[in-house]
Amino acid sequence: MGKTIIEKIFSTHSKDEVKPNETIWIDLDVRSARDFGGPNVVKHYEREYGDTPLENSEKTFFTFDLVAPAKNIKYAVNQSICRKFARKHNIKVYDVDAGIGSHILMEEGYILPGTTAVGTDSHYNIVGAIGAFGQGMGDVDITFIFKTGRNWFEVPKTVKVNIKGKYEFPISAKDITLYILKKIKTDFALGKAIEFYGESVENMKLFERITLCSMVTEMGGIIGFIPFKEETIEEVKKFTGRENFQVHKSDEDAVYEREITIDIDGIKPQIAAPPHPHNVFDVDELKGEKVNLIFIGSCTNGRTEDIEMAAKILKGRKIKDGVILAVAPATKRVYGELLKKGVLSQLFESGAIIVNPGCAGCAEGHVGMTGEGDVSLNTSNRNFPGKQGRGKTFLVSPLVAAASAITGEITSPEIFL
Amino acid sequence: MSKIKGKVWKYGDDINTDVIFPGKYTYTITDFNEMAKHALEDLDPEFSKNVKKGDVIVAGFNFGCGSSREQAASCLVAAGVGAVIAKSFSRIFFRNAINWGLPAIDCPEIFDHVEKGDEVVIDLEEGKIYAKGREFSFPPLRDEVKEILMSGGLINYLKKNLEEEK
Repeated sequence: MGKTIIEKIFSTHSKDEVKPNETIWIDLDVRSARDFGGPNVVKHYEREYGDTPLENSEKTFFTFDLVAPAKNIKYAVNQSICRKFARKHNIKVYDVDAGIGSHILMEEGYILPGTTAVGTDSHYNIVGAIGAFGQGMGDVDITFIFKTGRNWFEVPKTVKVNIKGKYEFPISAKDITLYILKKIKTDFALGKAIEFYGESVENMKLFERITLCSMVTEMGGIIGFIPFKEETIEEVKKFTGRENFQVHKSDEDAVYEREITIDIDGIKPQIAAPPHPHNVFDVDELKGEKVNLIFIGSCTNGRTEDIEMAAKILKGRKIKDGVILAVAPATKRVYGELLKKGVLSQLFESGAIIVNPGCAGCAEGHVGMTGEGDVSLNTSNRNFPGKQGRGKTFLVSPLVAAASAITGEITSPEIFL
Repeated sequence: MSKIKGKVWKYGDDINTDVIFPGKYTYTITDFNEMAKHALEDLDPEFSKNVKKGDVIVAGFNFGCGSSREQAASCLVAAGVGAVIAKSFSRIFFRNAINWGLPAIDCPEIFDHVEKGDEVVIDLEEGKIYAKGREFSFPPLRDEVKEILMSGGLINYLKKNLEEEK
């Protein structure tokens, strides 16, 4: 019987027989903790295992991306707990200046196609974008892996999502992602691996694949994969700086639990309204609602091309008085690219504030918190009440975010083309 | 731990980690007793005041969606919750629950048959839930998962296995 992509990755990382619904033990190539989970991981580790060594320090990382730099003493103390542990065990730290951990560990060539990676980040499955397996976990899970290098996993069944039709500017991967969420909500793929097929998704560039795969979490899925094209392989080589990796394809006779076809022809810009990411509408259905806080960035939409896309709409225009537009590049590399291209100064001219790389407005703490009555447009991936404060958060593409920054209300980018 | 008995607290679909244990407390409140006081704070302020040891949460689809924070599971353990029964679970929450020794049981049927305050008895070995004079079945936990659960979570499980190796 043929295997799906997840089954192949698991097979190369487990001694157990890989069959859907079985619980197996898997070796993890990359283990990481962030500034939120990290201190707890250290606490658990030292309580249980004292000064004994990690299974493999070279495969273990800290990435500080949430409250970066620390905004108060409590967070500073937490980060220093991780730094101290890292020095003792010779663990590499990507500190508060580096950016979003999952992105960095791909950029640095640690997470590669065919590898397995875990972190204290529920969007770790974003690495599905480069054909790797990633899983977000709690602190006890990660502690266990720091010590043993492995963990238990249920082998998920795989579902197939076929995307029919094409999209073009100003429709972006984010609109496609939100539209898929609108169609499949959280039950179709809950606990499953997803394989996306169809010309338009298979043609996606890496930054677009990152957007789609990051929100598999919101679809309830374990991980999402898109088949590689030749161009994808070249792009991933450039992205990771590595030449050698294993790209898995599913077998012809692989078994899928179920399949759905979604037609995207003619779709309009999309928006997810509170209280959850699958509460999706056409932007036009909500147009005119006043907004005052806009955030462009996050693991979902924080790559160079995402921010350039927004800049294209903002070029030569000013954001509306009373609107705050915050832009956070995903990583230091992205920040550097945007700086060299002059994109950041152009955004500054339009009235945006540019903050250091990291999770920024998606995490509790930096740039995106709302007070009562505030309305926020956010290019990130979650809009649960309370997550970003007391106001309302809507999820949109960088283009919708940029267009709405100019008008001060929910606006389709089409009027600025 | 194979039998759990308690009263039902009932909630709907897509209960997310932000309402189970708010992000703002995740790494500022780490004391177990304190954590218990904030469990489900934004969903049901009555819960933490009145929950009794062994009580059971019955919920709809996709329980525990959202963040990977394990506090969403550990705060329920801290509050004394004996098990969560849901129509389905977010898998990150499921992992965290098992790893903290909290049974997370997939049993869609029971949802329409119990209300808040009803008494339920769960037999983990048999894969049965008894409530309102009826019997509901759930797929028995797989051996690996059961072993971790019975050890009281992942850390104890490893401790046990390390000792056996010695």
